[in-house]
Amino acid sequence: MTRRDFLTQSYLGLGGLALGHLMAAETVNPMLPKLQHLPAKAKRCIFLFLEGGVSQVDLFEYRPALQKFAGQQIPKPQGTVGEIATFSAAPNRLIPAPYKFSRHGQSGRWITELLPNLAEHVDDLAFVHGVKVDNNNHGPAVYHTLTGNMFPGSASVGAWVTYGLGSENQDLPGFIVLGDHRGAPIGGAGVWGNGFLPAAYQGTIFRPGDTPIVDLKPRPDMTPQRQRAELDLLRWFDQKHAAQRSDAGELEARIAAYELAFRMQIKAPELVNIQSESEATRKLYGLDDPVSEPFGRQCLLARRMVERGVRFVLALHGAGGDRWDDHGDIKGRLPKHCKEVDKPVAGLLQDLKARGLLEDTLVVWASEMGRTPFDNNLVTDKPGRDHNQYGLVVWMAGGDVKPGATFGQTDDFGLKSVDQPIPLRDVHATILRLLGLDQNRLTYLSAGRFKKLTDIGGRVITEMVA
Amino acid sequence: MLRHWVLLAVPALALSAPPDFEGNIRPILAANCAQCHSAKLKTSGFSIETMESVIRGGNKYGQAVLAGDPAASPLVKVLKGQLTPRMPFGKTLAEADLAAIEDWIHTLKPAETAHLKGEPWLWPFRKPAPHQPPAIKDANWVSNPIDAFILARLEEKDLHPAPPASKRVLARRVYFDLIGMPPTPTEMDAFLSDTSPDAYPRLVDKLLADPRYGERWGRHWLDLVRYGETSGLEGDGAIGNAWRYRDWVVDAFNADMPYDEFVIKQLAGGDEHSKTRNNYQPDIQGNIPVAFLRLAPWDRSNLVADEVRQNYLAEVTSATGSVFLGLTLGCARCHDHKYDPIPTRDFYRMEAFFNAIKVQDVDVPYKDKAFAKYAGEKIKAYEEQLKSGPDKKALDALEKILLERLIQKRTEEARTRPANTQDLRLELRRKDQKLFTEAEVQKHADLLEDANRTLDLAEKQRLEAYESELLKRLAGASDNISRYKELTVEDLRAELARSTQKLFTPEDVERHRELTGRLDLLKRRIARLQPRTLSVVNVPGPPTGPGLPLTHVLIRGDYRQPGEAVQPGFLSAITGNSQPAVLETDRYRQFPTRGLRMTLARWIASPDNPLTARVMVNRIWQYHFGRGIVETASDFGKNGSRPTHPELLDWLALRFIEQGWSVKAVHRLILTSSTYRQASENPACQGNTADPDNHLLWRFLRQRLEAEQIRDSVLWVSGRLNLARGGPSVFPPLPADLADFARYGRTGGEMWEPNENEADNRRRSIYTFQRRSLPQPMMLAFDAPVFSESCERRSVTTTPLQALSMMNGDLVNEEAAHLAERVATEAGADPRARVARAFQLVLNRQPEADELAKFQSFSLVSVCRVLLNSNEFLYVD
Repeated sequence: MTRRDFLTQSYLGLGGLALGHLMAAETVNPMLPKLQHLPAKAKRCIFLFLEGGVSQVDLFEYRPALQKFAGQQIPKPQGTVGEIATFSAAPNRLIPAPYKFSRHGQSGRWITELLPNLAEHVDDLAFVHGVKVDNNNHGPAVYHTLTGNMFPGSASVGAWVTYGLGSENQDLPGFIVLGDHRGAPIGGAGVWGNGFLPAAYQGTIFRPGDTPIVDLKPRPDMTPQRQRAELDLLRWFDQKHAAQRSDAGELEARIAAYELAFRMQIKAPELVNIQSESEATRKLYGLDDPVSEPFGRQCLLARRMVERGVRFVLALHGAGGDRWDDHGDIKGRLPKHCKEVDKPVAGLLQDLKARGLLEDTLVVWASEMGRTPFDNNLVTDKPGRDHNQYGLVVWMAGGDVKPGATFGQTDDFGLKSVDQPIPLRDVHATILRLLGLDQNRLTYLSAGRFKKLTDIGGRVITEMVA
Repeated sequence: MLRHWVLLAVPALALSAPPDFEGNIRPILAANCAQCHSAKLKTSGFSIETMESVIRGGNKYGQAVLAGDPAASPLVKVLKGQLTPRMPFGKTLAEADLAAIEDWIHTLKPAETAHLKGEPWLWPFRKPAPHQPPAIKDANWVSNPIDAFILARLEEKDLHPAPPASKRVLARRVYFDLIGMPPTPTEMDAFLSDTSPDAYPRLVDKLLADPRYGERWGRHWLDLVRYGETSGLEGDGAIGNAWRYRDWVVDAFNADMPYDEFVIKQLAGGDEHSKTRNNYQPDIQGNIPVAFLRLAPWDRSNLVADEVRQNYLAEVTSATGSVFLGLTLGCARCHDHKYDPIPTRDFYRMEAFFNAIKVQDVDVPYKDKAFAKYAGEKIKAYEEQLKSGPDKKALDALEKILLERLIQKRTEEARTRPANTQDLRLELRRKDQKLFTEAEVQKHADLLEDANRTLDLAEKQRLEAYESELLKRLAGASDNISRYKELTVEDLRAELARSTQKLFTPEDVERHRELTGRLDLLKRRIARLQPRTLSVVNVPGPPTGPGLPLTHVLIRGDYRQPGEAVQPGFLSAITGNSQPAVLETDRYRQFPTRGLRMTLARWIASPDNPLTARVMVNRIWQYHFGRGIVETASDFGKNGSRPTHPELLDWLALRFIEQGWSVKAVHRLILTSSTYRQASENPACQGNTADPDNHLLWRFLRQRLEAEQIRDSVLWVSGRLNLARGGPSVFPPLPADLADFARYGRTGGEMWEPNENEADNRRRSIYTFQRRSLPQPMMLAFDAPVFSESCERRSVTTTPLQALSMMNGDLVNEEAAHLAERVATEAGADPRARVARAFQLVLNRQPEADELAKFQSFSLVSVCRVLLNSNEFLYVD
């Protein structure tokens, strides 16, 4: 059987794969592209994750009441539990947004002056306000946002999507993670892990530099000729071994994997080599400014990846002490966070649009939580905001996202949704739907249950879908 | 569509030409459903093989076809998406086909299908029945009763067992299986030349007695108990010497601890009463195995204590259910179990057994005197280094210089600006200050502490008011300079930690960070050697403490919505009633909270429990054959798989109990069966349609090595595996380019450490530190679990990342070079002898002529690298 044959056979056999422990099917290239459940324009996803808890009331939710009642105690909010209930009831004082808001675009959306470049694209974005995360602390909230479950061990959004759709480029990983150069996120590799799904669907972390994947580069003493010769010997030896055995699909797959790896050695460094990008493009992403350069590079790489058919790119911003976790001195710290991402994200949107890629690429912006409208750090003289699991803002663009749409609204203080809180699983259901995946059909049998990203099931936020 | 309309409009017409299952319906199902629901795959228990099997339905919704009532039939509902998952998976059935199916159901008569109703799923809750090994035709093949059960099913389907595996293949298989690495050439030669009839059973005995056996089989157990050594959530800090539990597990397997005892100790070590002794204190060593109840990820940052507690109790209840009972008990936390007879009430009755737990680490002295001495000496040596080692001296010297710079800088600043609050606080700290009275100093200290502790606005305002009062006096002071001499190294460290500081060069900051990091490393090494172990104890209860809180059924699993209060009780599906359990009580009435967990543990580890023995023998079977008799080893419920050989499962379970719950006895039985000793090729049955996936075991299933087996074996054949056993976990080097990314700023500490001794880089993989947020890339690529949830069976995937790690990674490349050296030493200069030796070491065989010819033209390192990458090395026949 030739490799092409078994690839074709396995492609036809993929229906079975979705239903769980069919080991034989899984071992034959699990990354082959699969059909969408439902028609959707977006075929790929760039997920921008800003770690630490982005302050919605300073960036996207203009709340004059914060100015008006500055320094006063927030009225007791109804329907909150856990830490937010405690914080709101304890002595606190509302702090106004330290930076100005103004309206932008046809939609007249309020955006902070700290994001002037992103503001130019507001008409392409659809926002959801007042999303509720299951936990008020970073660890569980990051897990919840990126894996649908606040405890480690579940499959990440990217793993689900690549499990559901495979990948269009077999020379590169189907799910790539672009880490912040300052360090790993809370939760580490678990937040892009495969969880209970087969290991093939885990995210591959791309590090800065010209060897983005661990063990991508042959050792210094290994010339390409020598490696090719060794791989030829290995292939000969493995094929002889396989020929003597029945049921050799898995053995054949492993032979093929070496060829894929060999090609990846060439394709991955090509992918991360941005020298070929024009000066104008580099500037567009803010690569000419040391503050925006790192995330600009991540965003530019994300574009290069979706261009090459990578299914899911997770770009992480913020790490260690440089996260959006502004408990103290929100006024002093916000400009830096914003400057780091403003041009890169705006540049990404503009570039995707110019290349016609926004049509079939879903872009998601999310953090693991919002922040409180009131001060949390009473013993410093520089006000900051605490965690707020009720205040997450997510925006999306591209594919079938309804441009300029808004769903959900928080109260006068931006603390929580005026209606029922919008559970995070609704956001996950919407992301899947926009990629042509039905949350109830994207299941995997594990530990006696058909697991889903949305667990007990979410509602697709149709208000954000065109 | 047209057809459907016609049928609806003119049913008489349809009846005149009744749709036929074989002619009309089966082709539709075959085209759309056979990928998963063929007779062999039978996904979710549903098969389209016969009309009966279609009507009978699958595990999830039971009877799929209700005669005459298409709208109510689960089959139609699933096809229409009214029930999930919608079928056929990933597509929509053509309307004409759907109409045909509805049409067919419409014409069926209820009387014809009455006998096909799904049977209730009761077998896991009934005790195993004694079965005689069945009668078979080919008695010669039977080595022990296992074979009779296997052969009977094969004969039913007209299949024949494979010929026995060659001695070479068998030896390699059983070495990897029992000790996780291949035999040495010498061991292989000895076995091949031993022609006595009991050569193989003796080999099995030898390997079961090898301490490497416990390391291999202990690893299986660690998969199940979600073993990890860090909290997994924010900060991902160490959860406290979990390695003591790991060593306990390895020792228990090696000592063949009876499985009932093994279970009891993990649930209830230290929870026992004495019938004869007053004020009885259980053996403190019992506090090690109960780390089973502590191993899950732990959310240390959540401030809502009730929620953390409830999550904890629910987790241990669920884990106990899946690990020991093979039941998805956790499904009943929020609602009655959807498939199995487990009401939510039972979940909380089971949870109530854990209600007395107090999560607490405990000092458990080392039983091994030599290790205790070693640990004591090491700790002492580390403490010396902390106190006056070269790093400490270097740090002191550096801090002295930097502190002087800080003082100088602050002094300069003070000349040009008015005094501020920080100055005031510094002044108040001065012993020789004369501005403020002792009472004022004290009052300020109290206010500051209150403000910091309470984060209360009023407290803060009080502090501010007082400080501004004192500040006025400070502003008038004549000496505004000398107070900066009071600055301490703590002030210096705080300044160095500020990301915006400009006083010190990046080199100074880095140097300081490095030296501090090295000293922190010593502190962590000390902590790992101290006898404090991950454990649980019981809350004291009356008279010294409050009584136990009641356990309530929680509505939708929500800790804020308590429902009915429940008493500790066993699963009603097994006991047949919902009575409270009779608790193991203390006849001296001194320890009222002790014995709850013991009651549960004894019930689980009882010969009368229908699940415990079956679940464990099934796990053992799975690890030997790659697939359990029940394929879903942690789910014996209705949604899991049916046993392929139910009578064999029962027979093994009863035999297991009879033989004193000896795990090694089960190994011996399985390993000496003809079933296990089959070859992995069976030409006579190749291509059969009765059982193409080998569920009935007409051959041995070829298996890929697990991640740990790969790493350990690479080191083993190169001759460099460090076989040192037990002790604190070690840190094999990360790929160099990952090390930097692994740095985690906020908690300060590094994610990974260098080992003190290079030889620790080459310990067996079970001794690698299991940081939940930083699994080893190569291990992860080869499907090692993420150790956050119980993993009952590893997936086996094939990816290019695996190939990259084997082609380019440090491990294989370094060990290929060492292997080449070893080969050169052992085989001499002859190139042919060298290739032959490399084949023997890696593959336990001689190269064939064409192989010799091809390999000979490569350098020895290349030969070794290719062999270590080969499928023949990674797959066991």
